Amino acid sequence: MLWISICATVLFFLIARMIYRRFQIAILSPIFTTLLMTILFVLLFHVSYTSYMSGGRYLTYLLQPATVAFAIPLYKHFQLLKRHSVEILVSVIGGSMVAISSTVLLAHLFRLNTSLTDSLAPRSITTPFAMDVSNMIGGTPVLTAVFVILTALVGLLVGPIVIRHLRITSSLAKGTLLGTSAHAAGTSRAFEFGNIEGTFASISMILAAGFTMLIAPLLVHLLQVHL
Amino acid sequence: MVRRIALLIAQVFFLMILSEIGNLIAVFFHLPIPGSVIGLFLLLFLLYKKWVRVEWFEFGASLLLSEMLLFFVPSAAGIVQYGALMSVEGWRLLLVIAVSTLLVMGATGWVADRLHHTLAKEKTTHAVD
Repeated sequence: MLWISICATVLFFLIARMIYRRFQIAILSPIFTTLLMTILFVLLFHVSYTSYMSGGRYLTYLLQPATVAFAIPLYKHFQLLKRHSVEILVSVIGGSMVAISSTVLLAHLFRLNTSLTDSLAPRSITTPFAMDVSNMIGGTPVLTAVFVILTALVGLLVGPIVIRHLRITSSLAKGTLLGTSAHAAGTSRAFEFGNIEGTFASISMILAAGFTMLIAPLLVHLLQVHL
Repeated sequence: MVRRIALLIAQVFFLMILSEIGNLIAVFFHLPIPGSVIGLFLLLFLLYKKWVRVEWFEFGASLLLSEMLLFFVPSAAGIVQYGALMSVEGWRLLLVIAVSTLLVMGATGWVADRLHHTLAKEKTTHAVD
């Protein structure tokens, strides 16, 4: 099962990429079609998620060296990042605060219970950080991981639309927007715009994770008390 | 071709070692930071000290980064385990996530774009567009 799930997932990904190259529509982004094929595969062949993950976890593991790999664009464009440090910091801090507070407020508005709300609050940052924050504020880390992925999918879908409709032209804004709102998936999408956009997104993703970890426990608590 | 694959494996392997060292450091010092992020800073440090060169990893690193979405698929497929929750609360959860994500994107992008254009006018340095 180990090799079957690895090979099947990679094969689906290659097919998905071919489809995306042919028809460049956001909804046909490789991650959606690959995910759809993988879920169908798991359900149709009655494979339990646990046995799928016996191979799948090796693909997940590659996220770790991929995270280390972000050092390369950050190093190459260090001067550029330094020059724009004020813009980056202000927009990432602002964006992260909007992420936490709007999530908690909307969850309250839709009458979701406290445990779900706490699991949702750190959903915009990268999985390991988000799970830690979730644990700190009383959420369920495993559920948070699911919400982080859902955020990635939503972000990939609406990111390019937001950029077009807000008439965002600077690489800086495109990168910070994608990195702050949709962590590594958004960053990966930013690299499709270009190396500079990807670099801005990488630094935003890291800063957003660090800042959220610092502020989320306090901010979520304050919001919960006053709602 | 064989040489490129060998090179790729060696480079990815080195990045894995860095993240594993990061994991060890995180466990040893009880740091609330993922090992891979510590690995990222280790690599930045090695590059900054010029003990390693960008070209040594560029091929492997750019491949990992450009195909990163593939590595999300197995965790994302984990949603099949939450069928019950999703059928009850699914649309509300999705609505919260979607509306909030739109707000974050709008706020971040708008602030960054405004600041960028204002500061670009003040600075004599070239704007990057």
